[in-house]
Amino acid sequence: MIFLFIALPLVVAGILPLVGKVSPRVLPDILANAVFATLLAVALLSGPSLAGQGAGLGPLVFLGEPLGVHLALDGFSLFILIVVSLVGLCIGLFSVKYMEHYGHKAVYYALLLIMTAGMNGLVLVTDLFQVYLFLEVAAIASYALVAYGLGHDELEASFKYLMLSAVASAFIIISVTLLFGLTGSLDFASVGRGLRGLDQPLVSALCAALFLVGFGLKAALIPFHAWLPDAHPSAPAPISAALSGLLIKVSGIYALTRIFFKVFGLTPALSDALMILGVVSMVAAALLALGQKDIKRMLAYSSISQVGYIVLGIGLGTPLGILGGLFHLLNHALAKSLLFLNSGSIQMAAGTRNLEEMNGLSRKMPVTAATTLVGSLSIAGVPPLNGFWSKLIIVVALVQAKRFGFALAAILASVLTLWYYLIIQRRAFFNKPDAKWRDVREAPFLMTAATVVLALLCIVIGIFFTATISTWIEPARDALAEGLQVIQSSIGNQ
Amino acid sequence: MMAVQIGLLCGLVVFSLLAVLLRDILKAAISLAVSSLLLGILFFRMDAPYAGAFEISVVAGLITVLFIVTIALTKAEGDVRESRLAAWIFPLFFVVFLVIDFLVMRRLLGQISSVPSSAEAGTFGQVLWKNRTFDLVAQVGVIFAGVFAVLALFRKRSKHE
Repeated sequence: MIFLFIALPLVVAGILPLVGKVSPRVLPDILANAVFATLLAVALLSGPSLAGQGAGLGPLVFLGEPLGVHLALDGFSLFILIVVSLVGLCIGLFSVKYMEHYGHKAVYYALLLIMTAGMNGLVLVTDLFQVYLFLEVAAIASYALVAYGLGHDELEASFKYLMLSAVASAFIIISVTLLFGLTGSLDFASVGRGLRGLDQPLVSALCAALFLVGFGLKAALIPFHAWLPDAHPSAPAPISAALSGLLIKVSGIYALTRIFFKVFGLTPALSDALMILGVVSMVAAALLALGQKDIKRMLAYSSISQVGYIVLGIGLGTPLGILGGLFHLLNHALAKSLLFLNSGSIQMAAGTRNLEEMNGLSRKMPVTAATTLVGSLSIAGVPPLNGFWSKLIIVVALVQAKRFGFALAAILASVLTLWYYLIIQRRAFFNKPDAKWRDVREAPFLMTAATVVLALLCIVIGIFFTATISTWIEPARDALAEGLQVIQSSIGNQ
Repeated sequence: MMAVQIGLLCGLVVFSLLAVLLRDILKAAISLAVSSLLLGILFFRMDAPYAGAFEISVVAGLITVLFIVTIALTKAEGDVRESRLAAWIFPLFFVVFLVIDFLVMRRLLGQISSVPSSAEAGTFGQVLWKNRTFDLVAQVGVIFAGVFAVLALFRKRSKHE
C-alpha cells in the first residue's frame, strides 16, 4: 500500500502527456487532482493503522526473485505524507484555472506529480543513497517548474536555484560516501549502529556538518538562503506554494531531522548548531521581509523566517520543542501555501505583485482578502489560529529548557512577522480602491475554493489544536524518540 | 603505481578547473570530457570497472557529444559581459578548499581504514538488481523529471502567453 505514494504519481505523470493529446485541459486536471485526493484518502484512512503496526515494505518477490525494496512508514513519515497530499490537492485545485494561461497543463501536472513522487519517496525510504536519489527527483522537477513561465526572471531564478541546489547535493553525496566508507552500509539504522560502534568522532562530525550545509541549503536556512528569494517569487503561484509549503520542508527539514535523529542522534553540539541556524534565520529573514515591496518576495523571506522557527523547535531536542517544531511545520505549510496562492490570485486579477501599486483590493476581492488575513494572522501567531499554538509551544519549550535568549528572539521575530503581514494587509487590501481596479474581479471559484479550504484548516486546527496534536503530531514526535533518547541521556550525564 | 595515480588525479583537477574557467565553451566542454576520461581511468585502476565504463561512455562520451552538438547549433547573440568577480572568487575558494583539504581532510580520511564488507556486497548485477532495486525506481523518476523538464522548457508558448 505504501508503495502507492511513489508509484501512483509516477505512473500518472508518465501517461499524462498521452492523455493531454486527447484532452489538453480537462483530463489532466481531473487525473492530477484525483491522484492527490487518492493519496490523501489513503494517508488519512489507512495510514494510522499502517504506521501503528510499524509498517514497512520488506523485500518484494518478483518472478521468484527477492528484490531489494525497503520502505518504512512511521508517525513522522505519515505526518509528512498527509501534509504533502493535503497541500498538493489544494495546489492542484488552484492550478485548474490559474495554469490555463501558461498552456501545456499535462506537462505542468506531470512535473508536479514527479515532484510529489520525489518528496513521497524521500519520506518513505530508509537508505541514505535513496534519500539522495529522491531528493534529486524532486529537485529536477522543481527547477523546471520554477522556470515554467519561460521569462527572463524565471529562467535566471531557476538557474541560480539549480546551481545552489547542485552544491547542496554535492555536500550530501560526499557525506553519504564518507558514511558508507566508515560503516559499509547505507541503511539508516545500520549506519547509526556502525557510527556508535566506531570511535571516529571527527569524521562523524564532518559528515554531520556536510549534511547540515547540504540540507541547510535545501531548507534555505540563513546563510544558505540566497536562492529562495529569487526562485519562489519567479515561479507560478501554485509552484511557489509547493516550494514554500512543501519542498523546502521535505527536502530540507524532514531529511535533516530524519538523518540527524536516526543516524547521528541529536547530540548537544548538533542541537546548538541547529538552534543557532534557526534563530538567525528567524530574525534576519523577518527583518529582510520588512523591506520588500514585491508580495511574493516578502512571503519568500517569511518562509525562511518560519523555517527558522521549525528548526529552532526541533533543534532544541526536548519532546515539547520537537512537538512545537513539527506542529509549526504543518501550520506553516497550510498558511504559507494559502498566502502564495492568494498572491497568484492578486497577480492574475490586478496584474501586479508590487505592494505599492495595490490599494483597496478587499472590496473587489473579498474572499481573497479574508483568506489572506487568516493566513497572515496565523503565521504571525495571533490567537486562536493554528500558528499561535505552535509558536506558543516552541516558546514554552525554550523557557522550560532555560533557553531564555532564544525564547526572547522567537517572540521578537513573531512581532516582526505581524508587522510585515500588517504591511501586506494595509497596502494590498485596506484603503479606498483605486479607480484602476474598476474591472478587477474576484478569482474564479476553484481558485478561491482551494484558498478557503486552507483558511478553514488554519481556523479549525487552531480551535481543535489538542486533537490535532494528539492524532498527528505526537505520533510523529514519538517516531523520533530514538534520537531524542541520545540527547536526553547526554544531557543527563552533564 | 602511486605516481601514475597522483598524475591522473592532478590531471583531473587541472582539466576540471579549465572546464570552469575557460571562456570558450567548446574548449570548456572538451576539458570536462578529458577530466571525465581521467576519472574513468582512475575508476578502472581502483577496481571499479562498471563505474569506469559508465563514466567514460556516458559522461566523457554521450554528454560531450550533446554539449558539442548544442554548441554547434547555438548562435551567439550579442556579447554578454560577465562579472569579473567570478574569476577571482572561484580560484580563491579553490585555494581555501585545498588548504582545508590538506589540513583537515587528509587526517580525517586517514582514519577510514577500509570499507568493511557488508550484506550489500556481491557482483555488480546482484547489487544492482537484487540489493539496490529501488534505486532503479528513483532512476525512472530522474529520467521522467529530465524528459518533462525538457518538454516544459522547450514548449511552444500558447497564444495566451
